Amino acid sequence: MKGQFLLAYRYLTGRKQRMVLTTLAVVFGVAVLFGMNAMLPGIITAFRHSMITAAGKVDLSISSKSNGPFNQSVMDTIQNAEGISVSTGILQRNVQIPESLGGTTDPITRSASITLNGLDVETARLVRRYQLSEGRFLEPGDTDQAVISYSLAQKMGKKVGDTLTIPSSQGKVDLIVVGILTQFESTTVDEVDVTLPTAQKILGLEGQITVIDMLLDGRVDKATVEKNLLQILGDGFKTGQVELGNELSATLKIGERTMWLFGIMALAMAGFIIYNTFRTVVAERRRDLGVLRAIGASRKTVMGIILTESLLQGIIGTFLGLIMGYAIAYGILQNLGPMIEVFMRAQVGPPEITNTNLVASILLGIGFTVGSSYLPSRTAMKITPMEALRPVTLVVERRRRVLRAVLGTVLIAFAIIGLLTNEIWVATFSTLIFLVGLVLITPMLVKPIAHTFGRLLAVIYAREGTLAQGNLSRQPGRAAVTASAMMIGLAVTIAMIGLVTSVFDGFIRYLDRSLGSDYLLMPSSLVLGGGNLGAAPEFAQRLESLEGISGVTTLRLASTQTKGAALQVIGIDPQKYPEISGLEFSQGDPQQSFSALGSGRSIIVNGIFATSSAVKVGDTLLLETPEGEKEYQVVGVAMDYLNAKIATGYISQAFLEKDFHITTDVLIMANRKEGADQTTVDAEIKAAAKDYPAFTLFDAEAFKNSQMEVFQSSMSMMNALVFMLAIPGLIAMANTLGISIIERTREIGMLRAVGSTQKQVKRMVFAESLLLSALGTSLGILVGIFLSYYLLKALNYAGFTLNFYFPALGILVAIAVGLLFGILAAMVPARQAARTVIVEALRYE
Amino acid sequence: MAIIEVKDLTKIYGNGDNAVRALDSINLSVEEGKFVAVMGPSGCGKSTLLHLIGGLDRPTSGSVMIEGKDISKMKDDQLTELRRRKMGFIFQFFNLIPVLNAAENAALPLILDGVKQERAKAKAMEWLQKNQLGDRSTHRPDELSGGQQQRVAIARAMISDPLIILADEPTGNLDTRSGDEIASVLRSLVSDWGRTVLMVTHDPRIAAYADRIIFLKDGKIVDDTLMSSDAPENARRLKEKVESL
Ligand SMILES: Nc1ncnc2c1ncn2[C@@H]1O[C@H](COP(=O)(O)OP(=O)(O)O)[C@@H](O)[C@H]1O
Ligand SMILES: [Mg+2]
Repeated sequence: MKGQFLLAYRYLTGRKQRMVLTTLAVVFGVAVLFGMNAMLPGIITAFRHSMITAAGKVDLSISSKSNGPFNQSVMDTIQNAEGISVSTGILQRNVQIPESLGGTTDPITRSASITLNGLDVETARLVRRYQLSEGRFLEPGDTDQAVISYSLAQKMGKKVGDTLTIPSSQGKVDLIVVGILTQFESTTVDEVDVTLPTAQKILGLEGQITVIDMLLDGRVDKATVEKNLLQILGDGFKTGQVELGNELSATLKIGERTMWLFGIMALAMAGFIIYNTFRTVVAERRRDLGVLRAIGASRKTVMGIILTESLLQGIIGTFLGLIMGYAIAYGILQNLGPMIEVFMRAQVGPPEITNTNLVASILLGIGFTVGSSYLPSRTAMKITPMEALRPVTLVVERRRRVLRAVLGTVLIAFAIIGLLTNEIWVATFSTLIFLVGLVLITPMLVKPIAHTFGRLLAVIYAREGTLAQGNLSRQPGRAAVTASAMMIGLAVTIAMIGLVTSVFDGFIRYLDRSLGSDYLLMPSSLVLGGGNLGAAPEFAQRLESLEGISGVTTLRLASTQTKGAALQVIGIDPQKYPEISGLEFSQGDPQQSFSALGSGRSIIVNGIFATSSAVKVGDTLLLETPEGEKEYQVVGVAMDYLNAKIATGYISQAFLEKDFHITTDVLIMANRKEGADQTTVDAEIKAAAKDYPAFTLFDAEAFKNSQMEVFQSSMSMMNALVFMLAIPGLIAMANTLGISIIERTREIGMLRAVGSTQKQVKRMVFAESLLLSALGTSLGILVGIFLSYYLLKALNYAGFTLNFYFPALGILVAIAVGLLFGILAAMVPARQAARTVIVEALRYE
Repeated sequence: MAIIEVKDLTKIYGNGDNAVRALDSINLSVEEGKFVAVMGPSGCGKSTLLHLIGGLDRPTSGSVMIEGKDISKMKDDQLTELRRRKMGFIFQFFNLIPVLNAAENAALPLILDGVKQERAKAKAMEWLQKNQLGDRSTHRPDELSGGQQQRVAIARAMISDPLIILADEPTGNLDTRSGDEIASVLRSLVSDWGRTVLMVTHDPRIAAYADRIIFLKDGKIVDDTLMSSDAPENARRLKEKVESL
């Protein structure tokens, strides 16, 4: 350490404002990266936790690979298998108890979710403890008797002897509470236990179960028994509990990747800001560095000063970024937690700090900072002692500028080609290349752009405009640095606004397409897959037969496993569905796809699944079904609004019945006859739906509006991201612009000395600042367009098909911000410059 | 043996039509422990000569020997070390590092040489005290007057006990009184400390402190005069010289 630390430290503390601003850039970058990634494990852990506690109390469970119901005769097969002491079959499903049936109102789902267990009374108690705090346990031959958990009894105020009404596939069913479990037995879920036949009737799943729990013989090896069992049962089964909501894991995985992408983008931006700052720093300090060289600092020492400075900033920024990231994650989880808890029925803990995330964030944070200062530090190293003593010679720089511009043009060309490819990583890389290219050609652009805008300015500031234009053109390097700092801030703003526009538009499009019908009937918590209670087909038939209804179509739900991932399968009527509702296609032809669905084992998958499992049209998928593995041909990639977030495949209802044994509807869409009176039809439907309390009737228009509200509130998270990405850029821009003007105090003093009036000086500073921001804004718009296209690509990669919109609004905002900043940045220095005591300015070094 | 030995030193800036011959086959030798002033009209190559001798720039042709070693053939790192250990520089615009205080500025050459900061600063304090700046050691350059800044620069130039002090118009930016102060400090460096000082100036009053005065014109030495020990007498003779050239 030959004084690098002392110098770095003194330069940092001597230029506090600058240090705070650059460090802030690092802080924001690290915060996004770290915070977002700290948040996800919290959610995933909650998720896992809820699953493990659900499966925790038995030695071994088996269920179908598809997580769907299977024939209860499997129980007999198991009974005789070796190594198993006792076993029991359970039919388990989640059921929503709507408000109208006394469910406690949850602000989000507007209903209470329970787990309905159909128990084989004779064996159930052998496998699991059912300790009662009150009343009796189920007995063989019970029909409408039920045992409920302690927490449910508390929540709904039920005592032994009370009636509990829950929705069923026939409409609803009244159960009599005969027993209440102890608190200990039912800490995790609100459960309702009935006999197996009762549950099968309620759920419309005659002769089916979803899971077999068992206890093993004392000394057998669990793994052997497991292997043996799976061999006996064949392909369609797996050990472990039914994994509800596994379809979400694909979403979470993509979410994780997207967060990394965002984080790295934020860091890259921070890196660019730092790069720019250090370029300014080195330019500003040429003289100091030259002096250091003159009095005996080696090249290495000079480079070391700049690198040490960035290392210090990297360490401070990363440290603060980690704290801020944690705080952000904590804040989001606090706000989002309750919603997740309702969906997953698990507590969401505080943000989790994984070693990978911590180490990666620290390495990336410090690495990016030091890395960004590397090139400027090389420039610093090359400063000769002579530069402390003489002005820089311009001739050499000019030739290099032409060379760089050529290189820059080539890079930009490559970047544009790269952006148009379909590889997300190539596109990401191209974006970086584009920035580098633009930085290289910027000095060459200064003159023509300054010239163009200079003329415009000349209209207002006749003489000063030309003067300012000359000032910029004379030092294109310096102008370019300032402009590129502005460029990045504005570009990100443009891109983000563009992105928000696209997402908003895409959302409305999905909503319109998917919910094109007049009426919707569904359980309020349908949006997430798995375990929904459906309605028997009679319900839909009854609706169709109504006077004022022209057409009805339904969605049915099953789950499966393919390519090692969970997939939600939706059964549609390939003829009626597109008439009444529809899918938004990103691959494949709608008409052909739907007709393929009708004629064979074909599947349309949504973007999330296509992306996360790398599936495309023409592929064959092996789906786990209760009937074993079945081959489905992928005929299209498309999505509907409700299932946009979950890995989903659409098949025909005929095959859903054949392969998955599902015949109940979970979502019913209906259209009014033309000319029918709305109030009459509304009343008709309401009357028909009365017997199916699990279903809520939504006016499609009202539902859309309520979804819009939800969406708008979730957009605030998006806005937070925009904020986190755009603000540091804008700060850096104001900073650089201000500095570039302040730097010229001496020159301005000179002007005063040779006779400019205060007013003239003021106007000149304004003119120059405006020209600079015009330059920065022009570049910002270019990069902004590029970036918004890239971001859209990234989202498409994540499985959302969105249209590219020319970011016109963003550009307008950028121009306004650019102009505003141009004026603001000049305000203080202009006043200062005008007031500058001439002698002072000349002394300023 | 001469401590500085310059042979056929030529420096040409630019090329083709723009070429400027700043120094034209200069030959010069300077004895150890002498105070030499370089005078001449603006643009005659005084600074260029100083820079080449100080190893700050490279000659177009010819050689500069310091203690018998040809520095024009040295690698950058060797030159840097030479500047750090054997040379002290004083500039017209002081060129202190604005974010460091007086003591740190003065200690810089030692710190850059790897000396522990406490030791370097202690030594810097000694030199600041010798320059009547003991009470200003924690002030930053912008809190010091021009004359004070230049005395910090002298402390910085002296701290590594260099053989040669190179000063380019050290009084050019100072008022008459501060200028005289600086000149007498330089004088004492030679008389009391036995250093060799090479100083560029165009002020005859300041040049009069030197033992020997070299006149440059258009990159060539046109006069080389030894001074007597009588200052007023020197000033008179100098005035005649300047007028005659
Ligand atoms: N870096 C340079 N590029 C081109 N010409 C230079 C450069 N440095 C000095 N010169 C020219 O060399 C000549 C001598 O300069 P200099 O040594 O600074 O003169 P002095 O110090 O005597 O005023 C001048 O004509 C000057 O214009
Ligand atoms: Mg000079």
